Amino acid sequence: MVRRREVLKVIGTTTAAVALGPFFHARPARADKGELVVVTWGGSLVKAQRKAYFEGFEKETGIKIKDDTPPTPAKLKAMVESGNVTWDVIETDLAAILTMRKDNLLEPIDYRKLDTRALDSIYPATRLPDAIGSKIYSFNIVYNTKALAPGKHPRTWGDMWDGKKFAGGRTMNFGGGVTPQLEIALLADGVPKDKLYPLDVARAYASMAKLRPLVNKWYGSHAEAIQLVTSGESAIACTVGPRGIAAKREGAPIDVEFNEGKLAADHWCIVKGSRNREAGHAFISYAIDAKRQAAMSQEVPYGPSNKKAIEFLKPAEARELPSSPENEKMQWWWQAAWWGEIGSDGKTNRERETEKFARWMVTG
Amino acid sequence: MAKPRYWSVTEGPLVLPAVLLFTAVYLYPLSRLVAWSFFTPGFSIRHYRALFAEPAYVTAFVNTFDLSVSVTVMTFLLGYPVAYLMTTISPRARAIVLACVLVPFWTSILVRTFAWMVLLGRNGLVNHALAALGLVTTPVALIHNRIGVQIGMVHVLLPLMILPLYSVMVRIDPAWLRAARSLGARPRQVFLHVFLPLSLPGIGAGGALVFLSSIGFFVTPALLGGPRQITIAMLIDLMINDLLNWGFGAALALVLLVVITVFFVVFQRALRLDRVWGGAV
Repeated sequence: MVRRREVLKVIGTTTAAVALGPFFHARPARADKGELVVVTWGGSLVKAQRKAYFEGFEKETGIKIKDDTPPTPAKLKAMVESGNVTWDVIETDLAAILTMRKDNLLEPIDYRKLDTRALDSIYPATRLPDAIGSKIYSFNIVYNTKALAPGKHPRTWGDMWDGKKFAGGRTMNFGGGVTPQLEIALLADGVPKDKLYPLDVARAYASMAKLRPLVNKWYGSHAEAIQLVTSGESAIACTVGPRGIAAKREGAPIDVEFNEGKLAADHWCIVKGSRNREAGHAFISYAIDAKRQAAMSQEVPYGPSNKKAIEFLKPAEARELPSSPENEKMQWWWQAAWWGEIGSDGKTNRERETEKFARWMVTG
Repeated sequence: MAKPRYWSVTEGPLVLPAVLLFTAVYLYPLSRLVAWSFFTPGFSIRHYRALFAEPAYVTAFVNTFDLSVSVTVMTFLLGYPVAYLMTTISPRARAIVLACVLVPFWTSILVRTFAWMVLLGRNGLVNHALAALGLVTTPVALIHNRIGVQIGMVHVLLPLMILPLYSVMVRIDPAWLRAARSLGARPRQVFLHVFLPLSLPGIGAGGALVFLSSIGFFVTPALLGGPRQITIAMLIDLMINDLLNWGFGAALALVLLVVITVFFVVFQRALRLDRVWGGAV
């Protein structure tokens, strides 16, 4: 009897310590009067954004910017469904936007409220009804320079597939959608980059099966991918090139091959039910300016969504951006149209293929 | 001593706050989960049909259970001697051992998992040591595989095994052990026939805590696991966070809940855990 109580007490205290942990979170960011909550991927990115955009915007308008992270569709969906929306502006990629659009989680962008002069030089493909380009990123071959010396490094996805010529583990993303795995699997199999879409899904999986024995990790985040390559766990990653460039600048034994990379844009969006839509538009208008975007690209090696911004950068600064003229030529633009198509099962290609890819990873 | 009762009219108001809290933070969200899995928006079992039609999801369940069972067994094998040691040493030494058990317990799981990556990686301390001793020429794969996840999870979950075991063992009256000795039992027999059976409630409680925690483990398998250690929690995360397929994610979570419940009931019958839980289950 006594013993039983004692055990219960121990179980009670141990489980309480574990279970109560999640309730001691910091207060979520929420816009008060004269404030705007902007949600991006955090870390060094948001530091650069604060310097290039937030500080100047605060000074000019008197509106304080609170930042939050991460801009996941699930968190936004929970906010919208519970009617407790604390975010105003989010920055995320087109794949996530496809998902959020389907669940009606975004407000339309009112282009009349944006700086028309800046708008003219924003990549036309990134001017969407509910989103507008914020920066250009790329998925590239990111490799460990100790394992694979620059010059003798993999230059094509075919090289990444070639375990005899290039030793070492490969890593690719587990989540984040199935893109660009299927595209690069087709490129590795010899499909020319201007003939990728519509994707031959069966051929892509047949090609992926050849890569599988070389994969030593499906990574969960791009930061993890960079860490895997830096530490030498994996020799080659398919991950966000600008993150590789940033790591290289900090002295990591990493380099990036832009050839055959996927080019895509991140976008600014205004979240459904935001109480600061006016201020949100004002912020986006501020952040699409060419000069400010050039300042942003000097901080972190992402490409500007405003094409004119390149003119404000020195050639050396532009060279390592994914959207520099030379790098853009070597890469291909991700086509959201195909991934957003809805099939007879009511799912977008992205939803169906991401689920299928997850199952493929498990059963391998 | 009053007759043991677990519920009475006068005790009712005392448990009310706990019941309210439990309803608000557990039962209500759980009911939402059930609703998501069955209504999309009309009633349908299509999520469950899809789940059982695909061998991949069953494989992920098997991966998860395989990991959880092995981790539970390992924490038991490592934790039992430690708990026993704690009952035999001086209070001062016990305080030190207890601190060694609890300090890592209060350290962030993420930090501990990263520490293992630094130790066990290809260029980690262990591999450098093995190479320096001339035992290996190429680095041994110690993470991104089954053993890596097991090491990480056992380390994280060990306190959940040791604490209940200790609290049961410390209540075992040494007089019974002396009595067994005086009746001619050898130490091994004393252990097998007296001490082990008396510590069974602790094994049950520790085993249940470790097993149930490892079933839902996310961070450690995601970081230390390899291509073959994809667990059900990772798939639930993908469905909920990435694809916003909350219906299917909820179905995966509920099947997991049902399987765990069945497992737990069988487990408690077998180990007479009802003695531990006060007959409330």
